[in-house]
Amino acid sequence: MSAVLGYEPVPDEESPDRVWVDAPGSHCLSSACKDELLAAMHELRPRKGARLVLLGTEVGALAERERLALLRRVGFVPANGGLMSSLNAWENISLPVAYHAPGKLAGALAEVQRLLAELGGVDDDLLGKLPEDMTLYERRLAAYIRALLESPELLVVENLAAGLGPTKRRRAARFAEVYHARCPGGTFVQFDG
Amino acid sequence: MLAVYRELEGSAYLLAHAIRRLGVLRLPPVAEELVRQIYFTGASATGGIVLRGAFIGTLIIAYVIEVLNADAALAVKMLLWVVLREVGPLIAAVLVIQRSGTAVATELALKEISGEIASLRRMRIDPYDYLVVPRVVGLAVSNAALTLYVQLIAVGGGMVLSSLVIQVPFDEMLTNFFLLASPLDLVYSLIKSVLFGAAIAVVACYHGLNPGGHSINAVPQAAIRAVTEALLLVMLLNVIFAYLVYGVALFGLVTAEQ
Repeated sequence: MSAVLGYEPVPDEESPDRVWVDAPGSHCLSSACKDELLAAMHELRPRKGARLVLLGTEVGALAERERLALLRRVGFVPANGGLMSSLNAWENISLPVAYHAPGKLAGALAEVQRLLAELGGVDDDLLGKLPEDMTLYERRLAAYIRALLESPELLVVENLAAGLGPTKRRRAARFAEVYHARCPGGTFVQFDG
Repeated sequence: MLAVYRELEGSAYLLAHAIRRLGVLRLPPVAEELVRQIYFTGASATGGIVLRGAFIGTLIIAYVIEVLNADAALAVKMLLWVVLREVGPLIAAVLVIQRSGTAVATELALKEISGEIASLRRMRIDPYDYLVVPRVVGLAVSNAALTLYVQLIAVGGGMVLSSLVIQVPFDEMLTNFFLLASPLDLVYSLIKSVLFGAAIAVVACYHGLNPGGHSINAVPQAAIRAVTEALLLVMLLNVIFAYLVYGVALFGLVTAEQ
């Protein structure tokens, strides 16, 4: 059976839970095997014996080139943002564009500013800040915009609202809306707790 | 024994990767990493060298003149041999190990532990291309530049200080310097210092990317292993280089004799 996002832990382990999303849209999940799945999401390398399915493709069986091609279609935002500590917010956000398509870098700034405005309410100097000077929300926001710039077909977000105050939680709740406006027909999966 | 073999193999792989993938330096983020590396390793390290270099030069001249009871010509000859060929590249290498070797190993180990390396892979950026290539090139270039700087300061400063402290005529030393100095000495020391810089970088990168654990305690351990092994490797390379150049390949070619 095909899935947009599917994860089955190692069969002989005592873990009755599994993750299975078989339709696009927004999904908020809570699962016992969440940590295992998120660890596999980092590099699309599931544990030996576990099964990871992304966009209908069984990841474990992929050759390196196919794995890289799939990575391009899947976005992932870890709880801490996963930003590079030596780069400021703009350099972090634009890193994949600067690396894979330097020609598009000039247009990316306007795109980032538009996304920042849509997601709203951050300091004007956010783009110049280093991760150590950013709040948790700002780190997640930067990582989220970095993922959005690649217009992924599937976007997996870890603990989007965890550790945020009420105002920031409300802003973070708009993330899925902005994703669907940018990527119609895409799948937004958020893990809680 | 197996661990040593694995470390050597890993470091050799990183060096081969850096040489094979030099083209990635054209990419803007990698070029920025290179500039940052050269700034931290080369430019910001120069301040501390001035006094050390000048004192070493003076010490060599003072020793040769006072202890060996020699003249200014021999003192300058010793200064050229010792500083240009051996001490210059070694001092620069030790300085780079002390400052940048530890910094590179610590930074990369922290990146590995905090998930930044995984984050790069997720963005389809090869960490070896983005982190290792600019560090290997940056440290090699910076080490060569620092070596030149040490040589200049040690020889120049040594002659100036010697003329002031132990009353050796400065013009006599300068005349001897231009008579004895050979461009080959400079080429020899520069090739050596580029090799030293690259060796320090691959050892530091290897230990940084393989910190041997995922706790914060693995970070200082990675730095200690990087410093110890980089120092050992530089000494070993120096011996091999000296043997090849003086003993086998170019015996008699690199000489300051008149």
